[in-house]
Amino acid sequence: MNNKIQAKDLINLGLFTVLYFVIGCCVAIPIGFVPIFLPVLGALWALITGIPFMLFLTRVKKFGMVTIMGILSGLLMGLTGMGFWGVPLGAVFGLLGDLILKSGGYKSAKKSLLGYAVFSLWMVGTYIPMYFMVEDSWASFAASFGEEYADQVMAVMPMWSIILVIAGIFVFAISGGLLGKALLKKHFAKAGIA
Amino acid sequence: MSSASYPIVTGSKKGIQLDPRTKLLLLLTITTLMFSTSNEGIMNLVKPLLSLVPFILILSERRFQTAAKYLILYAACFALERVALIWASGLPSFVLLAVTSIMTRFAPGIMMGAYLIASTSVSEFIGAMERMHLTEKIVIPLSVIFRFFPTVSEEYQAIRDAMKMRGIRFGGKNPFLMVEYRLVPLIVSVVKIGDELSAAALTRGLGAPGRRTNLCRIGFHAQDLMAALFCVACFALFLLQPQIAFWGGVRG
Repeated sequence: MNNKIQAKDLINLGLFTVLYFVIGCCVAIPIGFVPIFLPVLGALWALITGIPFMLFLTRVKKFGMVTIMGILSGLLMGLTGMGFWGVPLGAVFGLLGDLILKSGGYKSAKKSLLGYAVFSLWMVGTYIPMYFMVEDSWASFAASFGEEYADQVMAVMPMWSIILVIAGIFVFAISGGLLGKALLKKHFAKAGIA
Repeated sequence: MSSASYPIVTGSKKGIQLDPRTKLLLLLTITTLMFSTSNEGIMNLVKPLLSLVPFILILSERRFQTAAKYLILYAACFALERVALIWASGLPSFVLLAVTSIMTRFAPGIMMGAYLIASTSVSEFIGAMERMHLTEKIVIPLSVIFRFFPTVSEEYQAIRDAMKMRGIRFGGKNPFLMVEYRLVPLIVSVVKIGDELSAAALTRGLGAPGRRTNLCRIGFHAQDLMAALFCVACFALFLLQPQIAFWGGVRG
């Protein structure tokens, strides 16, 4: 089998990155209005995007594709104004996800859930400004949503809660992966696209 | 965006001709500065100026209706945001502030993104990316992403219409089923379109060994220089903001 990434793989990659990003945004944008939901945003994102990602994995058989998807997702986040922390984190967690998937030969069901959960941790990049540049982001929230909103956001996000954010993304990613697997079996295999 | 067309020949286009790289720079400037900055001091001037950029570009394409709608929406939200900021108290003003500030932050970026996609052909985009010496592994997926954003929204609208005709809508008994009814057809149809696109692109030589040539005329002109200088100026004003406020304070 040819193990180099070819044009067809790259097209698939772009296709699924769009699906991953658009479906994630469909969930993230309405929820982002409510400050107390910000910490669970990443987790919900990981839950719903499990569906396209599991379908994507049926087409990934080559090392590097998940890494590139991480970088591209980070780039898209950056272009939509969420900051560019997603790019390095996407590269790192994408690579880790790729390694896990490779160790399962891109076939193992357990490894694919674990790989997806690790890959999803790139979303932590979008939280970095909120945790490590607290004053800047308070000012930015205050200017655009009023000081009450800013206080609320900062109140629901003390420093230690980043651990909960990470754990939430991880756990929800695993459930998202299971959801994706179930839909895969129920619909996509039948429709002949998996 | 359903009427987005993909012009192939560079010469037949209307409006201000910008290099795709310049458009990307403008998009980046708008989204970064709109989203991450406050509404104080000099940014009060920079932000409306930035939000005029997509308006001018769309106007230059003679899409008057779109341009007017965007201008009215933005101006209304901008004014309401000011009102809410001054009388900020209680829940109604908070809701108003949240809605208007999200509109004023996102609308310019969305319009700029839509302009970028509608006014640039995939070939031009690939040409520009190759000039930036990006690897093929990033260029090809990026151009597919670029090509697919309008497709996803068209397909979604078609599926929504079909669901409406059969009486399936949000607010039903089971929200999870609702997600399933929308997402599954969307994913299936987008993936099918993607497979066809992939076959078409491969038969036309994508991924063939050897260097691709490109007919599109890509290059920087006077208008690109002006746009780039504008972006640099906006970033400079943003970064020098504390100093400017300080001078203002000394003089005042």
